[in-house]
Amino acid sequence: MLEPSTARNKYAPCIAACPVHTDTRQLAEFITEGEYEQALELLLDANPFSSVCGRICHHPCEQNCRRAKVDAPVGLMKLKRFVMEATKDYRISRREKPLTIEKRNEKIAVVGSGPSGLTAAYDLVKMGLQVVVFERLETPGGLLGHAIPRYRLPYSVVKEDIDDILSAGVELRTNQEIGKDYSIDNLFNQGFGAVLLASGLSESRTLNIPGIDSKGIMLALPFLKTVLSPWPPVLGKRVIVIGGGNVAIDVARSARRLGAEMVTMVCLESRDEMPGWKWEIEEAEEEDIHIMTSWGPKTVFSENESVKGMELKKCVSVFDSDGHFNPQFDDSVNRTVLADNVIIAIGQRGDLTCVKGGNLKINPGERLECNQETLSTSREGVFVCGELLIGPASSVESVRDGHRAAKAISHYLEKGELLKQPIMELPTLEDLPDETAEKIKKQAPVTIELLSPEIRLKEFAEIERGFTEKEALAEARRCLACTTGALADEEKCAACLTCVRICPFGVATVEKTAAMPEEKCQACGICAAECPAAAIALKRFSTDKMKEQLQRVLDSSTRDTAARPLIISYCCLYEVTSRKFIFEKSESYRKSGIHIITIPCVARLSVPDILLPFERGADALTIIGCSEGSCLYPTAEERLLRKIHQAKQVLEEVGVEAERIDYWKTESSAEVSWTAFWEISKRKLLQIKNKE
Amino acid sequence: MIVAERKSLNEIKSFIEDYHKILIVGCGTCTTVCLAGGETEVKVVASGLRIGFLKEDKEIEILEDCITRQCEPEFVTPLVERVKKENIEAVLSLGCGVGVNFLADKLETIPVFPGVNTEFFGAAVEPGVWVEMCAGCGNCILHLTGGICPIARCSKSILNGPCGGSKDGKCEISPDVDCGWSLIVERMKKIGTLHRLEEIIPPRDWSTSHHGGPRRVIHEEMAPPSQKVEETAGKELQDKEGSGG
Repeated sequence: MLEPSTARNKYAPCIAACPVHTDTRQLAEFITEGEYEQALELLLDANPFSSVCGRICHHPCEQNCRRAKVDAPVGLMKLKRFVMEATKDYRISRREKPLTIEKRNEKIAVVGSGPSGLTAAYDLVKMGLQVVVFERLETPGGLLGHAIPRYRLPYSVVKEDIDDILSAGVELRTNQEIGKDYSIDNLFNQGFGAVLLASGLSESRTLNIPGIDSKGIMLALPFLKTVLSPWPPVLGKRVIVIGGGNVAIDVARSARRLGAEMVTMVCLESRDEMPGWKWEIEEAEEEDIHIMTSWGPKTVFSENESVKGMELKKCVSVFDSDGHFNPQFDDSVNRTVLADNVIIAIGQRGDLTCVKGGNLKINPGERLECNQETLSTSREGVFVCGELLIGPASSVESVRDGHRAAKAISHYLEKGELLKQPIMELPTLEDLPDETAEKIKKQAPVTIELLSPEIRLKEFAEIERGFTEKEALAEARRCLACTTGALADEEKCAACLTCVRICPFGVATVEKTAAMPEEKCQACGICAAECPAAAIALKRFSTDKMKEQLQRVLDSSTRDTAARPLIISYCCLYEVTSRKFIFEKSESYRKSGIHIITIPCVARLSVPDILLPFERGADALTIIGCSEGSCLYPTAEERLLRKIHQAKQVLEEVGVEAERIDYWKTESSAEVSWTAFWEISKRKLLQIKNKE
Repeated sequence: MIVAERKSLNEIKSFIEDYHKILIVGCGTCTTVCLAGGETEVKVVASGLRIGFLKEDKEIEILEDCITRQCEPEFVTPLVERVKKENIEAVLSLGCGVGVNFLADKLETIPVFPGVNTEFFGAAVEPGVWVEMCAGCGNCILHLTGGICPIARCSKSILNGPCGGSKDGKCEISPDVDCGWSLIVERMKKIGTLHRLEEIIPPRDWSTSHHGGPRRVIHEEMAPPSQKVEETAGKELQDKEGSGG
């Protein structure tokens, strides 16, 4: 379980909102630092279906991002996708690393290879247990592999995630249908110590209205499954899709791609009540899908047993005063829509075939009896997770329950008892106050244009590309790094008011000692660099990291063997548009004596930080800040210039030339201007040396 | 607050260059607040000295520390122990003169050098700007002068001003220095007590100031019995008288 990132026990809302609590804030930081592999480890640690979630997650992180109050949320889902795409080779190579955990003898059977079942299987294998996953279809993935259209989620992406899991030692048996090829009793007889039901809601619900058995009527999941097969369904020109949820939208958009010209979605809900995600609805409309809201199906009419259209009745309300689904119609208001096909997408239910011979209790409404906290069923040793447990859910919620199921089963096998795991809401950082939001520099989000609807409709190719590296770095920089702000050490604070006087966001206060209210602090670090008592530290960026880097640089080139002169260059990390630039430049420049240390905002440098390279034997220091107008923090450059001035004075007091410190502003980008700055600094230093 | 300013590193260097292991000690109270000798300044001085000695190829080990106040035994004792335990040869104090004195008294055999010049008792009139406001003379007359101290803020410390050197509110010694007495007159006008200046302030007894020798303040309710000599003596006398009667 992720620890709260501050002493005050509050989480960034993006992290708290994610069902698996992915540390999205740290993700943005790793990306900024070019540490894509570390970002991958972080993602996979929280969610083995990170490639999938980088494409189709409903991203509650973004919906809760505090940056929304400034301009727009950070594009965290696309950042995740970027990491997954940037580290493909590394991901494959890490599969070779053997698990170090001691093997346990217990065997677990998992029924279903969707995101929850496979997550549980993966976790259990990592705990040393032996796991067999039974899948009734030919390939694994559940609805990810057999329902979600490829324009949203290519199968290769699902496979990336599943390959990790299988290579960890999870055994997969396909074409194995429970209730037909095997039963729960069989599994126990074969020596499995526990069974996990993770077969999801794999059956589409249907309607009971006149004419529903006409030819040309289909159910959503079988339809979507056939769409993905080599023999996609043949549709007429006019198609009605019944339903207003995300599955209905997948169906409608797939129908358009299969050649249907007039696709109409009909749903009971009003536009605001539609359960489909807003962005999915908008994309559907771009593809000329007509949405009829507040209409319910009345009859299907047909000719020669084939569908010809539907009669609809006006739906006046969907939910009753208690919020329960209880649609009310006005039978006198009707409308007729012509159609060659009708596809029903009004929800899914579990296939409870597995219960046959399994001695499992089923509750009214065809729901398996189970405990939401222990994930247990009415039969000992049989557990449940995913949509069978919680009803219709997103992929990431299924992953969360996979994690919970693994813990529940491991605990049961070890202790013989059930483990309670209630889903708890994490305490989050308060909203950004208006007065702070106003002071934060606006930065438009990096947006990716979708393919034009005309091109999209020609095939099932993915409609959205991922971020380029440059785009990802720009977007990651937008993260406000919530909860990583300044923390004052009360014991050291002298209440000198320096922080109050220099905070560019008006955040710091001093009563008895300094305080930087977490909901306001922007983690710029200016107070930490200036505090005369060294009482302020930042979670996000402590100069310790920089000192370690500097020490490594100097250790690797001890005074005698190093290329001379030795120049250290502190550079603003935010100006780099590819990590390759930094890594390769660092390498080539090191040989000529220039050592690059990137820092997320050089305004965070204190006077001791600026002096440190000289103390450790460097001949000169070149500081490169961001380009004109691009710094995120007001007054940062002015403060830096004052600190450089102070450091220069110190040098002069001990007889070292002040010109050994150089300051440059990036021009256009790091790639364009930094090399020139280093060359100039080097020449300047040679002149100083010649004078000696 | 006591206001101080760091000495130049060149001067500091000359104090310590003959030692091999020195400790720089900051003070977490006044000199931290006036940006002259807190933990950050300790780092700056240490760094500057290391750079200077590196240039001269001198190997001097420079250690760093900062304590809450250099003028209290409870805070100073652990530092004294550290100095002895680690065989530190000399200490550079970035506390005010009080800190240097107090450390030197406690350390006895180990030299303590001043890293700052102690300037005055003053206030921060703007961020980064401190002005002298009190001379610590031991007999406060601010009730007579509108809350502006003629001892500290008049260049001559005269008690009945202004003198002939006051011009347009400035002192003759520098156009940057306000005439303290001009400030007093203007302030007393504002509070409606100007007429009180017609009373001549008599020459004062300076024995309460440093002129009477080093001073001492005793708070009896806190002070140990050894500091309560007079009272105890008086009580004994009373007791004797009582028994005699």
